[in-house]
Formats: sequence, C-alpha cells, structure tokens
Amino acid sequence: MKLLTANFVQCSVKACSATPKCFPLHFDQQTADVPLELAHEDVDFSPEFVYNMLPRIDWPALTTTARELGNNMLPETKPEIENPNAPEHEQLLRDLHTLLLETQIIQGSMRCENCGHIYFIRDSIPNFLLPGHLVQ
Amino acid sequence: MFPTPSTSHADYDKVYEPSEDTFLFLDLLQEELPFLQRRFSDLSILGSPLVLELGSGSGVVVTFFHNHILPDALFLGTDINPEACKTALETSKVNNGTRYFDVLRTNICDSLRPNSIDVLLFNPPYVPADTLGSYESSVKSGDWLDFALLGGEDGMRITNVVLDQLDNIMSRERGVAYILFCFRNKPDEVSQAMRAKGWTVTKIGERKVRWEILSILRFEKE
Ligand SMILES: C[S@@+](CC[C@H](N)C(=O)[O-])C[C@H]1O[C@@H](n2cnc3c(N)ncnc32)[C@H](O)[C@@H]1O
Ligand SMILES: [Zn+2]
Repeated sequence: MKLLTANFVQCSVKACSATPKCFPLHFDQQTADVPLELAHEDVDFSPEFVYNMLPRIDWPALTTTARELGNNMLPETKPEIENPNAPEHEQLLRDLHTLLLETQIIQGSMRCENCGHIYFIRDSIPNFLLPGHLVQ
Repeated sequence: MFPTPSTSHADYDKVYEPSEDTFLFLDLLQEELPFLQRRFSDLSILGSPLVLELGSGSGVVVTFFHNHILPDALFLGTDINPEACKTALETSKVNNGTRYFDVLRTNICDSLRPNSIDVLLFNPPYVPADTLGSYESSVKSGDWLDFALLGGEDGMRITNVVLDQLDNIMSRERGVAYILFCFRNKPDEVSQAMRAKGWTVTKIGERKVRWEILSILRFEKE
C-alpha cells in the first residue's frame, strides 16, 4: 500500500464514520506478528503529477501518517505552489513524490482511534473487511 | 480499438476471467473518452481525479482506463476476493504500471473517505440467483468465484447497496459512476428511481450477448 492511500481511507465501522476520529488510521502501534515493513519502489517523477495531487491531500492527516512512519520532514502547512516547474519547488515536489508514491507499506497495521479496531496490511494489500457486516 | 491489457498471469480458477461484460465495459469507456476528457480537463482547483473500480477482479478495466482514458488520474481498486486483489496489482504492473494504483480488500467500497471518488467503474455480480457468495465457505474452500457473479434477488443485492450509497461515495463537484446491468436487473426501473433521487442517468450503450442484454448506465449528480 502506498503511503498516499492512508490519506484516502478511514475506519470501516459504520458508527465510526460519523466521528472525526475515524481518520486518519494510525500506524503508531505495530504488532509482533505483522511487524511494520516499508520498501522503496521507483516511480517516474513528474512535477505536474505531484502538483495535481496536492489539492486532494488532507495535510494534517498526511503529516500525522508521515510522522508515525518516521518521517518528520513535512512542513506544518500545505505548501502553496503556483508553477510546478519552477526550480525552487523541485526539491519539495521530489520529496513528496518519494514519500507519497514511492513509499510502499509492505506489511503492518493501522489502528482506528475511535473503536480501536486494527486493520492489517499484508503483501502490500490492506484488509478492511469486517466479516460480520457483509451483505447476506 | 485500444488494445486490451494483458492478463496472462491471472489464474481464472481464482479470479473472474474478463468476459463479455468486461469487454462491453472497455468498448463503451472508449466511446466515453471525449466526455471524460472534457469533464477532467481543468485540474487547477480540485486536482487529479480519483478513479475507483469496485470489484476490480483481474484489474483489466481499471488498467485499460489508465492506459487509454485518463493516464494522469489516481487509481484504486477494491475486491472482496484476496486473489483478485493481488492479480489486479500485477495486471497494472505488467501493462506499463501507473504512478498511483492501490487495491483494497474490502466490502463494496467501505473504508474509503466519503465523497472522494470522481469516477466509479462497477461491473457487479449481476446474475439473479437464490444466494450470494458466502464469506465463511469461501474462507474454508479458498474459492471466491461465487462472489463474481451471484447477485441474489433480481441480481441486484450488491448493486442496490452501491446505488443506496452512491450519494456518499461520489464527489459532489464532478462525480460520475458507470454501472453495468443485465436485462433482468431492470435497468429502466433503476434509471427512473435514481432520477427521482436527483441523478442524471444516461444509458451509454447496450449489447446482446447470447440470451442476455447487457447495458451500462452513467450516473451524474445534478
Ligand atoms: C463480474 S466480476 C467483474 C470483475 C472485473 N471488474 C471485470 O470486469 O472483469 C465482479 C467482481 O466483484 C467482486 N465483488 C463481489 N462482491 C463484492 C463486494 N461485496 N465487495 C467488493 N467486491 C465484490 C468479485 O469478487 C468480482 O471480482
Ligand atoms: Zn473505528
């Protein structure tokens, strides 16, 4: 699972979706059976692609996720960029590219702050199924 | 005709094999190209569109969409079948890859942030049947293919859940959903019911396949 995906998902439990605590899920408590494993996977860099992603990003949630995964490099507030090809922005866009698109969470777990439910990631695939709640 | 992505690595004993319904989806998406390009031409305020294939199976539809329709979008797939999840990731990789694609194992699209999806693609389990796939028996047997086709009463059990949630799934500003139906799903009744709820519904095409008539409806919120 790419790190960016943590910005798009929340707890599956219906009762949690009404509370702000369902997002983001937290990486701060990992278990011994599925220890956190990160990997770097090369992706072609395009400044425009990263630039176009920015409006979609919930910045406070992203900084939380990055910090829990050991990255303290992000600015406190979302950077304002007018021209993605301006040389002064290149480093920042490259750093975001590496963090959001090239960081693979191979395995680990995510915790809902509201209900405490733990969602596991294995083989890079997060599992959000709640078997008791499927359509029958 | 745009080429169909390769899925030669897929094991069709475990994952839904691209079939007539899948190919109708690919053909009609190709015809939707001008509509979609127009809709997502200005990204300056809302950013790149987020495209989700629900029940992505082999991943052939979402990969086709990336390769030929909106290459610069962000992509997600969901499936209940763990083998399908792995296969879809592989399908994307072996067909040029994407900058951003992830597959979530989940029910429908539970766990996605509300109102975040700009394009939804859904080829559902639409075949009328007495039952649906059963989680417990699939865990036991390792066979998840019942989930690919069995749609319960009118073949609409899963699709109805998606239609009920559509308002909560789709982005308010530019959401557009494509859902496939067979004749016995009563797509005309679905259109009427969804129009009454404020959706603009367009049949983008249909095709006779043996004794079945498959069609795809496009849903946009006004
Ligand atoms: C008709 S197949 C379509 C597969 C692929 N999209 C295609 O067009 O070839 C339906 C897919 O939906 C998945 N599915 C069925 N029920 C589901 C559910 N409740 N949540 C998520 N996926 C589901 C099945 O596992 C299967 O992969
Ligand atoms: Zn929760």
